[in-house]
Amino acid sequence: MPSSVVGQTPSLTTFLKSLKQNDIENSIELFISLLKRRQIKNSRPCAIATTHLLLRVVAEPKRKWDAQKLIARVRHVGRRLIAAQPREMAVGNIVRRVLGVIREVAERDEDPLTDSEISGSASPITGEFQRPALPTRFSEFSPLHGAAAMPHNMHSGRPGTADSMAMEFGGTPQRPALLSTNASYAGQGPPGTSLFSILQHPQGRSPMATPPPGTQSPVTGPSPSRRAIAGEIPEKLDIKAEVIDGIKELQDELDVVDNQIAESALDHIHSNEIILTHTSSQTVQKFLLTDARKRKFTLFHAEAYPNNHEATHATILNGAQGEDDSDERWKPLTSLGITVILIPDTAVFALMSRINKVILAPHAVLANGSLIAAAGASTIALAAKTHHVPVVVLSGVYKLSPVYPFDTDELIEYGDPSKVVPFEEAEFTDKVDIVNPLYDWVDCDLVDLYITNLGGHAPSYLYRIVADHYRMEDIDLNAKQDAVVKKG
Amino acid sequence: MAPKARKTGEPLEAEETLQAVIIADSYEDRFLPFTLERPRCLLTLANMPLIEYTCEWLASVGVEEVFVCSGNHTDQVETYLNNSRWTKDTSPFSVEVVRSTEPSVGDAMRDLDQKGLMKGDFICIYGDVIANIPFDAALKAHRARREKSKNAIMTMVLREAGDYHRTKDQHHRRCFVIDPETDRCIHYEQVRPRTSPRLNIPEEVLKDHVEIDMREDLIDCGIDIYTLDALAQWSDSFDWKLPRQDFVHGVLQDFETFGRTIHTHIISEGYAARVNTLRAFDAATQDVVSRWAFPYCPDTNILGDQSYQLQKGNVYKEDGVVLARSSTVSHGSVLGKATSIGEGSVITNSVIGRRCVIGRRVEIENAYIWDDARVGDDTVIETAVIANEASVGKKCHVKRGALVSYGVRIANGVTVEENTRITRFKRKRGYDNDEVCQGVTDSKVVGEGGEGFRLELDEDEEDMHEAMLAGTQEMNITTDGDDISDFESGDEEDEYAHSREPTSRSGSFTSIASDESGETKRDHAKFHREASDSIFDGLQREQDPDHIQLELQAQRLTENAEDNQIRRAVAVAFSRRIANLIEGGRTAKEAVATAILPNQRLIKACVKEASEQAEFLLFLQTDSVHRAQGSKVLLHVAFVLAGEDMVDGDGLEMWWEDPRSVATEELKKVRAETKPVVDQMAGESEDDDEDEEEDDDDE
Repeated sequence: MPSSVVGQTPSLTTFLKSLKQNDIENSIELFISLLKRRQIKNSRPCAIATTHLLLRVVAEPKRKWDAQKLIARVRHVGRRLIAAQPREMAVGNIVRRVLGVIREVAERDEDPLTDSEISGSASPITGEFQRPALPTRFSEFSPLHGAAAMPHNMHSGRPGTADSMAMEFGGTPQRPALLSTNASYAGQGPPGTSLFSILQHPQGRSPMATPPPGTQSPVTGPSPSRRAIAGEIPEKLDIKAEVIDGIKELQDELDVVDNQIAESALDHIHSNEIILTHTSSQTVQKFLLTDARKRKFTLFHAEAYPNNHEATHATILNGAQGEDDSDERWKPLTSLGITVILIPDTAVFALMSRINKVILAPHAVLANGSLIAAAGASTIALAAKTHHVPVVVLSGVYKLSPVYPFDTDELIEYGDPSKVVPFEEAEFTDKVDIVNPLYDWVDCDLVDLYITNLGGHAPSYLYRIVADHYRMEDIDLNAKQDAVVKKG
Repeated sequence: MAPKARKTGEPLEAEETLQAVIIADSYEDRFLPFTLERPRCLLTLANMPLIEYTCEWLASVGVEEVFVCSGNHTDQVETYLNNSRWTKDTSPFSVEVVRSTEPSVGDAMRDLDQKGLMKGDFICIYGDVIANIPFDAALKAHRARREKSKNAIMTMVLREAGDYHRTKDQHHRRCFVIDPETDRCIHYEQVRPRTSPRLNIPEEVLKDHVEIDMREDLIDCGIDIYTLDALAQWSDSFDWKLPRQDFVHGVLQDFETFGRTIHTHIISEGYAARVNTLRAFDAATQDVVSRWAFPYCPDTNILGDQSYQLQKGNVYKEDGVVLARSSTVSHGSVLGKATSIGEGSVITNSVIGRRCVIGRRVEIENAYIWDDARVGDDTVIETAVIANEASVGKKCHVKRGALVSYGVRIANGVTVEENTRITRFKRKRGYDNDEVCQGVTDSKVVGEGGEGFRLELDEDEEDMHEAMLAGTQEMNITTDGDDISDFESGDEEDEYAHSREPTSRSGSFTSIASDESGETKRDHAKFHREASDSIFDGLQREQDPDHIQLELQAQRLTENAEDNQIRRAVAVAFSRRIANLIEGGRTAKEAVATAILPNQRLIKACVKEASEQAEFLLFLQTDSVHRAQGSKVLLHVAFVLAGEDMVDGDGLEMWWEDPRSVATEELKKVRAETKPVVDQMAGESEDDDEDEEEDDDDE
């Protein structure tokens, strides 16, 4: 524990402490510079810091938010945060989740009014507001993954198709809300399930989504009245409080995500299996610990040299010290009688034939089911593929990003080469290029199963979870906010 | 663990804030001609001003109050800071610019002490430091030591760098003798270039310490943790100027008396370096581009308006770069926003700023091209620096080590020779401060229609001289020779040692004669500097000696200087002029003749009696000690002075017998060659000087 009184190196801990004292703009700038300086890094600290910061933004005193203003504000902050360190995708994920919460609250508030006002007319139905119709999104997502990054272009690019697609899928029964985390927001509005309304739903979504310019959306007509309503809402309902509750739930989710994932450990790891893992992930450790209480297995631990080996060694020896973000402590696996074998990353292929299961912890999971993980993960996944060893990825939903990897190189961060060759080795620095990538990109077909806090999913199913958690209109935060401008 | 005190909120509990001092002024001329127009800390390295790196690091270690000490170009520094994010409300620390006109680090420190701005231990750092080192450990160790002993007044942070390292100062080898048990620095010495690596370690040091480490493998990154006591030390010793040679050395010497100790904190991970020479600039740029200074790399986009993206082979491109299809940008290059590169151009390992226009078929290798520069078609640029808004015409060849300063225009088809410094401005030495004024375009250098002239380093020609020598040494070591090493020169410590040594040494001489208080001594130093500068300037421009004399007289009256000071100033000025001429390719004899013969009156005016002559010679001797060919110069000077009757036999003899002229080994050495002249003159002082002709031949 740092005993120094003055001049503590800024970190997540100091950031969270300073949040209470700093005004909001300061906190945003501080977080941006901490991200840039990599003093807050990795998904979990980033996610935690982002939720806390956004909580402050939303709870800004003396500000009365109406939904659109709040959305615009959060988007603006989110853009700045993402620009600061685009490779920490957890930041963007949390921003989008919060935006989703705001939209949901706004819609919930709007719905009763809309209902009463234009009931029976060809008005959008609340159910669709509630949970943006999956089929439509499905249609926009699956054929062209690329849509993820530029949904608006897509949308406006083919105005007709959205309609026809929607019609086509309109008949499919809407899935029940499959989210546990978001469940709290779900089901609060009256479910609208009449056939008529289902058929109408593409228009129904339009108040929140970008209205396709070409479509003769009925809603664009009544929108003035809508706007009037939107203006009244803040007086009637406390959006701020609702959103704050939503963000707090997100924070709770972050707190329990590892335990939720760990709950399914017994289903996946069996007695006397030989497991291979990589890096010092807290999620993986908890997962294994849960299992170790009941069963005996053998763990091969690849040390993730050179960027994470120290942390890995410490985790194997001591478990968690509770130093970092949380006060959580746990015992090392070895204390529960598990055989842990530390191996260098290079030995992975040689040992793979003995291994029953590979467990990886990603840095981020992308919309198409591929993932970014600490360097070395790709080697492990490929070796596992060769030996037909199942690869299980443990990831909180907060790591799941709606970003589609067009250019996987861009997603990889290159770190400090002195980890590979010490700075003192002058000959090297002069004559050789030393590259130290921090992350690897692992393609989706190398992964067999994702275990999130919602349960296990095949990589090909992740798009659904993405669709459930993120709003179409929030996926590209840099896009022009047509919808917002029109409405607000 | 105490929560961090906020800059805005009231400090919690009884916390101190961590303060830092940035010494933004370099007090030196390493980066001429660029520093004529801009302070060094605003020069861009990998397209970001140096001070940003420093501030970023300070922010990253949790500093909350920063004082920027600036002498030269303070306005620019202030304007820059006022427009930067460091002075905004969101800045992690408060910034205050402390203006001081005094020309050394020591003066700045004394100024700080006087103003009483510092509240506790603070970090002292230069405005040109690039670092990403973790600092908690150093600070903690420092505090622990302070707990134990109030005498631990300073901690120097040093980075291990092995035997040879591009980022390490190559020819100024700093040796730290450290007691590994307490991390105490017990001896510090700077091995001068071209001298045998010998350390004079005091006997006590060897006696008192069971174990000592002698380390020469450390990068002195200019990051120190000071205590208020250390600051007071600066004030106590008014003539200390340099943090290492004066301060560290001085404190260590006084250890017996005061018991104050200086400690080191040696770090072996992270990056820390000072950009104090062009060579260091080159090395640090490479380090930043090849990510050693991670996360302070271009693609971190530390400044809000940056948008660099990393591509394969450490190529960084900002948005809006226009590359012709057939152009090649390879390996370790940085391209700023809105820069365009024409067809068939090849850019290798170079940094190019924003809005630059690079023509077709241009070859640029290892070059630094700053914002808004233009390079015409078919031009070749080798390891060189092209500053902002400079333009290089078509079919030019800019050779290794050339420096093209702000706004210089080089006409088509011109070859810029190696190690040329081209500028539009030059420095005019005034009495109070230096003015920068526009120089006359020299079309021989920049071609017809160009703008700019070759900058001759008037101020520290000696330094230049040394730099060249050091450069050649360097070339032997680095065979690949892609460094800007030719014009590499020492650092300010050394430079100051040059201009200072005569000061302090003769200062002590004069103090034998007169009891000077510290205050007057300081005045004298100032007078000496100004007077010798102006005489030297006059000599350089071959002005009429009467004119120089007049100027000197005026200065003397304003400063109320004594005669011996004038003698000293004259002696030093001549010595510099001679060294300057020698460097220009003259032999020692010619140089002495050119410098002295037309200006006899000047010397005669201040040297009349034998005792004065002796003193004059003593000053010359002292000054020659550190000049190249010093002993030869001294011989010829003595000879000419005697020959032209400026000095007579008595004077020479008095000088020779003066105990002060053999005070040190170096002094003895430098005067050894002069012995025959003295013998002869002393012996034949009555006989007039008939035999001088042959004496001359002998030499």
